[in-house]
Amino acid sequence: MVKIDNLTLKYADKLAIRQLSLSIASGEKVAIIGPSGSGKSTLLSHLYSLLKERAAFCSQKQGLVDGLSTYHNVYMGALSRHHWTYNLINLIVPFSTPLAEVEALCHQLSLDVPMSKVLSKLSGGQRQRVALARALYQQQATFIGDEPFSALDPLMAEQLLTMVLAGHSTCIIALHDKSGALRHFDRILGLRNGELCLDVTQDALTPELIDNFYSPETLALVSNA
Amino acid sequence: MPKSISFVGHWQKVTLILWAIALVCFLFSDTEIISLDPWSELQRMIQGLMTPDFFATEYLLEALWQTISFALLGVLGGLIWGAPLALLYSNRFIAAGCAVIRSIHEIFWALIFLQIFGLSPLTGILAIALPYGATFARVFFDILLQSPQSTVETLPARTDRVSRYFYGKISHVMVPILAYIRYRFECALRSSAVLGFIGMPTLGFYLETAFRQGHYHEGAALLILFIALIGSITFWCRPRLIIIYLVLALFTLPSMHSIDASLVWRFLSQDILPPALQGVTDLSQLDLSRINELINWGKSVFFEQAIPGMLVTLLLALSALAMSHLVSVTLSAFAFKRLTGKFFSVVIRLLLLILRSIPEYIFAFIFMLLLGPSMLPAMLALALHNGALIAFLTIKQSDNVVNSSVYNGRIDGYCYDVLPKIYPNLMGLLFYRFEVILRETAIFGMLGVATLGFYIDSGFSEIRYSTALLLMACTALLNILVDMISRQLLRQNTQTALACR
Amino acid sequence: MGLFKMAALVALSSISSSVFAAVFTFTAIPDENESQLRTRFEKVAFYLEKELGVEVKYVPVKSYSAAVTAFRNNQVQLAWFGGLSGVQARRLVPGSEAIAQGNEDQFFQSYFIAHHSAQIIPSDNFPNLNGVTFTFGSKGSTSGRLMPEFFIERNLGKKAKDVFKRIGFSGDHSRTIAQVESGAYQVGALNYKVWETAVENGTVDVNKVKVIWQSPTYPDYQWTVREGVDNTFGDGFKERLTQALLDMDDPELLASFPRKSFVPADNLDYEPIENVAKAIGLID
Repeated sequence: MVKIDNLTLKYADKLAIRQLSLSIASGEKVAIIGPSGSGKSTLLSHLYSLLKERAAFCSQKQGLVDGLSTYHNVYMGALSRHHWTYNLINLIVPFSTPLAEVEALCHQLSLDVPMSKVLSKLSGGQRQRVALARALYQQQATFIGDEPFSALDPLMAEQLLTMVLAGHSTCIIALHDKSGALRHFDRILGLRNGELCLDVTQDALTPELIDNFYSPETLALVSNA
Repeated sequence: MPKSISFVGHWQKVTLILWAIALVCFLFSDTEIISLDPWSELQRMIQGLMTPDFFATEYLLEALWQTISFALLGVLGGLIWGAPLALLYSNRFIAAGCAVIRSIHEIFWALIFLQIFGLSPLTGILAIALPYGATFARVFFDILLQSPQSTVETLPARTDRVSRYFYGKISHVMVPILAYIRYRFECALRSSAVLGFIGMPTLGFYLETAFRQGHYHEGAALLILFIALIGSITFWCRPRLIIIYLVLALFTLPSMHSIDASLVWRFLSQDILPPALQGVTDLSQLDLSRINELINWGKSVFFEQAIPGMLVTLLLALSALAMSHLVSVTLSAFAFKRLTGKFFSVVIRLLLLILRSIPEYIFAFIFMLLLGPSMLPAMLALALHNGALIAFLTIKQSDNVVNSSVYNGRIDGYCYDVLPKIYPNLMGLLFYRFEVILRETAIFGMLGVATLGFYIDSGFSEIRYSTALLLMACTALLNILVDMISRQLLRQNTQTALACR
Repeated sequence: MGLFKMAALVALSSISSSVFAAVFTFTAIPDENESQLRTRFEKVAFYLEKELGVEVKYVPVKSYSAAVTAFRNNQVQLAWFGGLSGVQARRLVPGSEAIAQGNEDQFFQSYFIAHHSAQIIPSDNFPNLNGVTFTFGSKGSTSGRLMPEFFIERNLGKKAKDVFKRIGFSGDHSRTIAQVESGAYQVGALNYKVWETAVENGTVDVNKVKVIWQSPTYPDYQWTVREGVDNTFGDGFKERLTQALLDMDDPELLASFPRKSFVPADNLDYEPIENVAKAIGLID
């Protein structure tokens, strides 16, 4: 589906991705792990720019609008499906069909706040689910997520992860932790210092491999290099 | 020593530079205190304040309502032409044009429109709408620039441009924009009152007469009413009522004199021409002696009025800027509840309301009696008014500052825990305010301080419009120059909330 | 956009401009007390309406220059001008005429007043004002600015700005008193009537401020009417208007100006003022 060859990217004048080659097939569920600053976000937004037409992107920056209601923030995922006049009217008076859809979606995400509640009044965990709901509401075949569950408790995170995986044929999700969540994926990529240090399938994944990947010695080794 | 120098941060440096410049300006300014016995006049003033006479003013309710209605219609007019311009503001020519329009004080716009439309409400409304529109264009543009890019980035790929703009941009900025319009409405009330000074039928008409002629009982009553009007905006200016107010305002405007197209033409083709060119109908009449006369006229206006006027304007504005800084830092600390206690902070907030509501003109007037006719009264008046305004905007932010667990409720705790968080914003406001201070020096010209405003006022009262306009052009140039410099300074280190300025 | 709107407004209103002209409008600023302007002068308007049989309206203005502008733009057809503003107005509107002046205005005076600390002894000779601080009244005032400046230049032989240590414009005759009384300025010049009223009412402490010099007399305030009122309001209108003004004898109406009575005047009476204004450089 997507193939990267010898890619080098900069982020804020620093080298974020070094000579990375990668290919992801359609239908794959890929997890990307790595310490902060390893280049995950840069890689994901690059992948999104390649897959733009077919993918929904749940960015770490969320891009939520504080002054709008919860409903409108989620609805924004559907902007491309409607004519702009429809969108503008909906901005003033919400249409009932999308309102019902969004409400149901939020309910699935255990986001049981009034749809009219202004976003600035939501908690961090609720905001993250609004951002997730917006991405889901795009109804794309591919989901790209940049730590979309980081503000949630592990139980809820896992529950939502299974939902996301079930709803999209292809998923590329960056995760910060080495939790059990990884077992839901077909393939695990490990990024460190902008380089691909780990690329294994679920079957080949062993706890030692992960521990080794995150171990301080190798970290020090790489950062010295 | 060198070690401690490395701790002097950006804002400390900026503050020190500001103070150094202001000190030099202050030393070169005329700040002599000349006053032998102001006490008998002051006593009359205090007496007036103690026993305000609310019935001394004729047609008081009408004046009160017209103050509101001019402000409302002025802001509306400003929005109508300024808001769309915000989208084109990145164009350099539009930005420069707006800067020119902004740089001229409402009073002078009104004096120009007075020549064209006479004492018609149109004069007052346009005098507010024109500079306010230019300000809206710039501020909305700035706010739009600051709206985060991240929303647009996460929108679905094939979203059309209109939806993208409204959902991704406009919705982000609606809250600050509405807050800004509300704030500008308060400013417009002040402007509307001040336009009374030159003949618009607002509160200022009577306020200025009362103070000028020493009717302090009447003046005090008007001042109290005006402060109450501004202090109670949140109670009477409900979003739902605005439409009703607007309709009422349109219907109750004083009778509109007809506008005579020939007056517009006369103003453009005759009045604004220098004396040497008046009566010249075709180019062949332009002989050497006329050109010589023209050059002499330009020279004398430029060297005898523009240059000294600019110098005084700059000295006054820069000194006042540093003083405003002092006032705003002090007062915003005093008004911080968790530092000075609830009672004291409420008292200070009331003081802030009074200080920011009273037109500088009145302050300068009182200080002039106390301290004599130097530049000092004008400096103090500007500092108190603008300092209080900045403090008022700053405490809106400091009220929301979350203190760390080590905050001790003392001044040291304030300096560690609160001041660093609000200071960049405060300085940002201060520098934006400089433009306003520069413009407001005009008012003191009418009180006799020899700023550019003084010479412009003379030009109008001697019916020498060409001189007045040439001087206004100099004012505009000075303002644009200052604007460029302050933008350069600000660009380096602020991500301040621009919402209120 | 702003331009377009303005153009539209101008176009619209020039169509309607003929509609309003039938109201005879005048303006006046008294040299003293400016409070309750409308209440007081609407009575004058009522009187004129009765005498002339046309609708008469009063427009309040803030300054002499505003009055001149309104007169020039034909927003008022009659104005109670100061000496200087009358000259300016008649220069701008050819054919306009001074038709009446106050009884007192035939021999108006400026007083120079000084704070006691300046130690200037009252005298009939022009005092030596070199190096003192000095305030005029408003910039466009005849008795508070034009004539004092003229007498200073004539008697001291140099421009006012070279005589004084500091020059101010208080903006108003009563402010001139207040500022000299407070010592903000050592010397000031003002309308003699305002001074006399202040002394009468006790609003000035005569131990602190004294009159140090009284100027020679000159003509001041006058009624000036625009050309063409006869065409608009009927033949002989100007004559009837003049008569109505001269006949005004209700003390309440006259107190608004305040004048004892009105006497005839013409443009020639004000030639001295025009010459003085030219000499000072206030008009070209």
